[in-house]
Amino acid sequence: MATGIKQQDRQDAIAGWLFMTPALFLFAFFVFIPIFFAIYFSFTDWNGISPPTEARFIGAENFRVLLLEDGIRRADFFKALKNTAYFSLGVVPMQTALALLLAVVVNQRRLRFKSFFRTAYYFPSITSSIAISMLFLFLYQRNGLVNQVLQAITFGLWQPIAWMADPRGLFHIIFGWFGLTLETAPDWMRANVLSLPVWDWISGPSVALMGIMLLNTWTTIGTMMVIFLAALQDVPREVYEAAEIDGANSRQVFFGVTLPLLRPTLFFVVTLGLIGTFQVFDQVYVMSAGGPAKTTLTVAYLVYRNGFTNSQMGLAAAIALLLFIIIFTLTLVQRRITEGKKE
Amino acid sequence: MKAKHFALLTLLLAVALLLAACPAQPVAPAAPAAAEQPAAPGVINLQLMGWASSDAENVRLQEVVDGWNAANPDIQVTLNLVPDYDTKLQTSLAGGAPPDIFYVDSFRLPDLVAAGALLPIGDQMTDVDDFYPSLREAFTVDNVFYCPPKDFATLALEYNTDLFDAAGLAYPTADWTWDDLRAAAEALTDKDAGVVGFAINPDFARWIAFLYQAGGEVTTPDFSAMTLNTPEALTAMEFYVGLVRDGFAAPASDLDSGWPGEAFGKGRAAMTMEGNWIVPYLKDQFPNLKYGITELPSGPAGKATMAFTVCYGVAANGRNTEAATKVVDYLTGPVGMKAWTDLGLAMPTRQSLREGWLTMYPELEPMLSGAEYARKWQFRPGFADVLDTINSGLQEAFGGLKTPQQVLEEAQAVGEQVLAR
Repeated sequence: MATGIKQQDRQDAIAGWLFMTPALFLFAFFVFIPIFFAIYFSFTDWNGISPPTEARFIGAENFRVLLLEDGIRRADFFKALKNTAYFSLGVVPMQTALALLLAVVVNQRRLRFKSFFRTAYYFPSITSSIAISMLFLFLYQRNGLVNQVLQAITFGLWQPIAWMADPRGLFHIIFGWFGLTLETAPDWMRANVLSLPVWDWISGPSVALMGIMLLNTWTTIGTMMVIFLAALQDVPREVYEAAEIDGANSRQVFFGVTLPLLRPTLFFVVTLGLIGTFQVFDQVYVMSAGGPAKTTLTVAYLVYRNGFTNSQMGLAAAIALLLFIIIFTLTLVQRRITEGKKE
Repeated sequence: MKAKHFALLTLLLAVALLLAACPAQPVAPAAPAAAEQPAAPGVINLQLMGWASSDAENVRLQEVVDGWNAANPDIQVTLNLVPDYDTKLQTSLAGGAPPDIFYVDSFRLPDLVAAGALLPIGDQMTDVDDFYPSLREAFTVDNVFYCPPKDFATLALEYNTDLFDAAGLAYPTADWTWDDLRAAAEALTDKDAGVVGFAINPDFARWIAFLYQAGGEVTTPDFSAMTLNTPEALTAMEFYVGLVRDGFAAPASDLDSGWPGEAFGKGRAAMTMEGNWIVPYLKDQFPNLKYGITELPSGPAGKATMAFTVCYGVAANGRNTEAATKVVDYLTGPVGMKAWTDLGLAMPTRQSLREGWLTMYPELEPMLSGAEYARKWQFRPGFADVLDTINSGLQEAFGGLKTPQQVLEEAQAVGEQVLAR
């Protein structure tokens, strides 16, 4: 009897491994091996043109240049990191909140044309990101639709701007209203921290970057909405009924019942959002190529630029590795926070 | 249990090796296998890789290549025009199986030379001295002429004749100076109609013509030091940025356009400075536009323009470099070059073809004449950092966020770092 079970186990194990083989191969060839090589190249001076075997091992030199040596490469890295952080800080809360709102709306039992709205909201997520970016380039022109709408709703007070060519930072613009500009800024704001002046660190996202942020939010809410929707439909009807019997109004139901039950989903969506925003590349590639004035230069785009236009693949690999460490750390921190709330 | 797992892993590994080995073998040596096949003895197959251009150009290049193939049954060339060219070229070079012949942009040349990717074949070409010296220079690194120029384009001044007529101004001539340009740009600017005199982008590749016209230089000739902190550079930067700050010129983005050529075509700018590529574009997109072309104006130190050129490179580790060199010699030789440039979209890099070409395309004379005094668009490996810094600085200067002086100081500092690497 015992041997029979063992036999069964072994057969199951073999079958299991066999079923997994194709996926394991794909994983090994397209994920594991490339990651290994990326880590290896980050310690070399490979230019990306000559055969990889000619790459020279240079230890942690790439990381020293990126993190410790004052110069253009450190300045670019931290500028990209700053831009990406502003991007993430803007997009993640916005897309999470809007996706949740939309999910709750289309989840209502009495809503008519429910499937129409679900499809409509999901549509941007399944459309090619490149095509949407090209389209938005037109919308963001000086005489484009965005400016026209803004002019219409402000009764002509809005001054049209060329969105994708405007390097002014949001916070800089706001400081400007209070008379604080680079000329009037106190000296400490002009001091360099990590090769960037403090004044640049506190720029906020540039107008061009905000353009991409809006676009990115719009294209990602659909997917997030579907995830929330699935979770919402898993919430047992009885819990709502119990809350209703206890006399909770709809606001109390949402904050007291729905939201706590959605916490695992919330964690998932925020994690996806963080990872996605820290890796944003395609929209930058199509719409701005890092410009104007490097204000839409993101870390992922910097990796591409160093690897393929500056012939510094080793440096690019090092940046990619740092990006990985940053995302990994952020996810851990965020998990700690969400778990802490649970207890 | 451990042993069983081990057996299983061995099995998996074996399958993995098998799978990995299977596709690799037939794919990699396909080309030499075909070349060494006894069925077609002595036939060498070459691949020529370039980037896709306009349909007319793609077709014409294919015709030129077909002409070679018909006359040389022992060396057959396949033309492969790809999108996202730089990435594709870089990966195929790194992968050790580069195309036999490929386009090399003069700006990219130093990187490829530094990586040892190019075979120096320039001096093996027919009548080397026939190539314009300025274009030979564009593919010469440390006195080695690497690859012969395929064709070239120079910057010239395009002007909208209707707008000049309406303003009652005389058309620009090759004798124009900066002052003439500025005065005309001011007179042609019409704020209410949304028209500016001059469309220029915050682009190093345009400003640099003004730098040379002012007598400035980016670096010393031996690339030992940056020279952007000179009064000449400041003059050029102040003139260029000043045109925009004073409202007489604007970048394409302010004129609802993707690039200055589009703004010019739409009639939102009376003048612009672009190269030969604007000609087929305007013909195609704005067939009714009336415009003329003349040389760029002279600055305080005289005339200067930029030559943008591409050569046919032969891979250093290619299998049939001798045959590839022969093909390149044909493509850039008097016959192949004539067949290619007679289309009019690209200009011949051989001085002997100048007269014949001009009888066909007299209106493009200012662009061809630029070859006499054009400067090469090329620096040192890693100079993309300086390019980015200046473009970025120009964008901020156009918006009034930086002064010309600050832009130059930053570029100077970044350039010093790049040269010190």
